[in-house]
This record gives sequence, C-alpha cells and structure tokens, in this order.
Amino acid sequence: MAAPMELSCWGGDWGLPSLHPECLTVMAYAKFSGAPLTVNTINNSWRAPKGDLPVLVSEDIVISQPAKILNFLRKQKYNADYDLSAKQGADTLAYIALLEEKLLPALLHTFWIEAENYCSVTKPWFASKIAFPLSLYLPGKMSREALNRILLTKGGPPLYSLTEVEAQIYRDAKECLNLLSKRLGTAQFFFGDTPTTLDAFVFGFLAPIYKVCFPRVQLQEHLKQLPNLCRFCDDILTCYFRLTVSGYSSAGQDTADANLQKLTQLVNKESNLIEKMDDNLRRSPQHPPRKLTTLKLAAGGEESSPMSRLSP
Amino acid sequence: SSLSTAAEPWPENAALYQQLKEEQILLSDNASSLAVQAFLQMCNLPIRVICRANAEYMSPSGKLPFIHVGNQVVSELGPIVQFVKAKGHSLSDGLDEVQKAEMKAYMELVNNMLLTAELYLQWCDDVTVEEITHPRYGSPYPWPLNRILSYQKQWEVRRKMKAIGWAGKTLEQVLEDVDQCCHALSQRLGTQPYFFNKQPTELDALVFGHLFTILTTQLITDELSEKVKNYSNLTAFCRRIEQQYFEGHEKDSSTIAARSSKKSLLR
Repeated sequence: MAAPMELSCWGGDWGLPSLHPECLTVMAYAKFSGAPLTVNTINNSWRAPKGDLPVLVSEDIVISQPAKILNFLRKQKYNADYDLSAKQGADTLAYIALLEEKLLPALLHTFWIEAENYCSVTKPWFASKIAFPLSLYLPGKMSREALNRILLTKGGPPLYSLTEVEAQIYRDAKECLNLLSKRLGTAQFFFGDTPTTLDAFVFGFLAPIYKVCFPRVQLQEHLKQLPNLCRFCDDILTCYFRLTVSGYSSAGQDTADANLQKLTQLVNKESNLIEKMDDNLRRSPQHPPRKLTTLKLAAGGEESSPMSRLSP
Repeated sequence: SSLSTAAEPWPENAALYQQLKEEQILLSDNASSLAVQAFLQMCNLPIRVICRANAEYMSPSGKLPFIHVGNQVVSELGPIVQFVKAKGHSLSDGLDEVQKAEMKAYMELVNNMLLTAELYLQWCDDVTVEEITHPRYGSPYPWPLNRILSYQKQWEVRRKMKAIGWAGKTLEQVLEDVDQCCHALSQRLGTQPYFFNKQPTELDALVFGHLFTILTTQLITDELSEKVKNYSNLTAFCRRIEQQYFEGHEKDSSTIAARSSKKSLLR
C-alpha cells in the first residue's frame, strides 16, 4: 500500500482530465476509491511498456488494461465496490459488457473514423501530444485499429458497406444510452450514493461524448436529450475532479498558468537585478541613499504592474 | 415489409438450419443454435431443425443458426427475437424498463464473455484446434478443401480476437473469465427458477443454450465444463429447462441425448 503508483495517461481538454475513455475510467476509479495515484499525462505512447495507455506502474509492476488496473487497485485495498452486494457486482459486469458491445463502437467511430471529426479534431489533438515524427504515424495507427475493430466485430454481411455498419452502430449506441438513462433514473450514482466501478466505466465512456466539441455530433446530441446522464457526468467532474463544467477549455487555463509563470520569472529577474544594484550601491558609498529608494520604488513600480495584469 | 411480416401467422413448416450435428457442428454454433431453439420453444412456436453441411454459407449474415419462416430468412438470436416480436410473440413484454435494460446487459455479458471464450477455445487453443476443430469443421469436404476452409476460418477468428484484445490471453485467463461470467450469472439467478423470476425470457434461452452446450460437450479436458459445474443453481437451471422444453420431443430437435460423438449427460 505504501508503494507509490504512477499512472500514465493521455491528457485532457474541453474540461475533461483526459480524452481517452479508458484513461478516464481509471482516473475516475482512483478518485472514487481514494487511491493515491500520480498521474502523468504522457505524450509519447511508445515509451509506455505495452504501447497502449493507460498504464499503471508501481515499483516493478506494470499493468496495462483498465480491468487489470482496477483489479490491482482493489488488491491494494482501494476498493470502490466494497458495499456492493453480489448481485450488484454481477450487474456491474453485465453493464460493462453492454457498454463495450453497444456504445464503444460508436464512440470509436465518432473519434477516429468519422472523417470530419478525425481530421479537424482528433488527429490534430493527439498529434500535438506526441513528438515528431511519431505524431505523423500514431494517430493514423489508432484510427486504423478502431476501424478494424468495428469492421471485425460488427461488419459481417449483410452489412457490407461501412455506411450500413455506421447506421447500425449508432442505433445500438443510442439504444444503449437510453438503457443507461433508464437504469440510472433519478439516483446520483448507479448503485446508490457512492460511486463504484460501474460509475467509473460509464463516466469514462460518456464524458468524452458529452464534452468534446466535434463537427459531427449525432451521439452528443442524443446524449444531451438525456439530462440525468449529463448531470451524472457533471457531478463527477465537479465533485471528484474539481473542474468547472462551464465548458471552459483547459487551454484557457493553461494560458493563464503560462502567463503566471512568465510574470513570476519576470519578477524574479527584476529582484535579482535589484539585489545586484544594491550590491553595487553598497560598494560605492558616494551614491546618496535617495537613489536607492528611487531605484527600489522604480523596481516596485514595475513589480506592481505585472501583478495587476494577473487579475483573472 | 415489416407489415407483411406481422400479417402472416407462424407457419407449420418453419425451419431452423444448422451444421451437421454429429460430425461438423462446433461448440459455439451449437450453443447459439440451442439458444434459438429454446427461445422458440418458450414462445410455443414450432420449429424443425434441419442440418446441412453448407448452412453457414446459406445464412444471410454468415452466422448460425438461421430460421426460414414463410419467405423470410433471419439469422442470429437478436434479429430472430425482433422478428418473432413483430409477429406478436414476446417473452419480455412483462418486464419494466429497468428490467429490460438489465436483460439486455446480461445478454451482452454472455456474448461478450461466454461466446468469445468458446470461440477462443475452439480456434485459438492449438490442441483443441488440431484435435477437434479442424477435423470437424472441414469434415463434409474432401481434402484439401477441408483444410483450406478451416484454416481460413481460423484466420478470421484470430483476427477478431486480436482486434478485441483476446489474442494475448492465455487459456487460464480465458477460463477465469468464464468463471467470472458464471459467477455473475449464478448471483443474478439466485434461487429463482428463471432470471426474471417466474417466466423465462430470451436471456434464459441464451444462457441455457451456452451453459447446456458447455456441460454436455466433450472437449480435450473438462476444465470448461467444470467451471460451470461449480455453480449448482446453474446446472439445476439447465436441467429444469431441458425437462420443461425439450424432453418428450423428437430425437431430431434439440439434441440432448442423441449425440454420440460428444456426450456426457447431465448428472
């Protein structure tokens, strides 16, 4: 339990801690169960041991799939399902299977296969997180894997063309969203008042659909008609991830942080300068003290103006 | 066309097509076929089982079983349930919305874990492939066609396993997944006669199809059936459905006692 645990994930945007459903699932579960994870938003997938994120590293142990990572956390006594009955545990497995079979294909399609979405949002975003020249190759590879998965699992005859498969998978996904909404009802989480593994999985799959701004958004529009699911995602984001849900892109947050950093550096530089000047002045005693004060005031003046720019 | 489907009543000569029972059919297809047969029995709709070596190629989706009703051909349990519903027969109408969601989720669990495990065992476990699958799958065809067809099918299944992340699993891990699935089904069933208490639904048919086939099919080892036998309420469930819906029927339909090459009766 004392061994430090590090999770490597894809980063986030649009108010989400991560864009990748599996990474989100693991991050949410860690928050729910109180597992102390250091999260690294990795930007080079090849360095991850199995090549696929999310990856958990704890001392010498490396674990790479969400189900296995969650199992590991449970063994380390970080168990979010402690209060569940055996039947609820069974229901968890069943609903996760439903998500994987019915919702995941459409999610993959929206992100990786729908041409407008892929070219204008997904590919640039993922490419910007990886170093060149991997950025030219990896998004394409992820897209091909997604297409492969969809065609192999859903694309047998008579659905010969991709457009027919697309129609079917979106129908399935919308039905799945409806079923989830009915199952959730007015409760806060799927099994009462505390979130569990199932909530982590549902959140991991729903939040990217809900928040990421794509040009083609049929799934998002359907989801927005199910207010209890939207409220479910927002609740988890505010309570467990402490992110604002106004749709404020974290890119804005980053710029503010960058500004703050620059200004801090400026202030430090100036205080170094002041110290140097102080030394010089002390070494040459003919300078009247007034100049010192003037200098300090000037420095202070300059100091204060960048500070004022900090106001949010 | 769905209007015309609803208009016609269920004909007497409705037929279900599957591969040859004794020599050719594999574990996963047998399970799927039995599930459909159980479902139709539960709906009280008569069906004849016809075995053809080329059943897989006759199927509109390439998957088995398929039913031939009037002038319609429908394959796989999901679409067959829809089709039967359009004709006015349904087992799940009495369920409320949350129960229907649960039923669908558990059906996906069976497909996701049990069916995939069966496919893995048949096509990715080298010993089973060599000794059972290849001989059976190609048995109606002369050499070299039999080998070519079964290698082709094996390649297809292995591609799919790779895409969904099962290619890296060991047999032990797959058996553990089966155990986890059975555990979940056993918990959900509890002491009830059926999954939704008094009346069977398509979920009961699906679970019966898979579990019964696993229990009564002889493979290289008994590891798979042992996993199911660990759960006494599941074996009792299978026996109950067998007695209620299959006993007293012709030898040709639904199997159970008539299998010579792979048989170990429920004890």
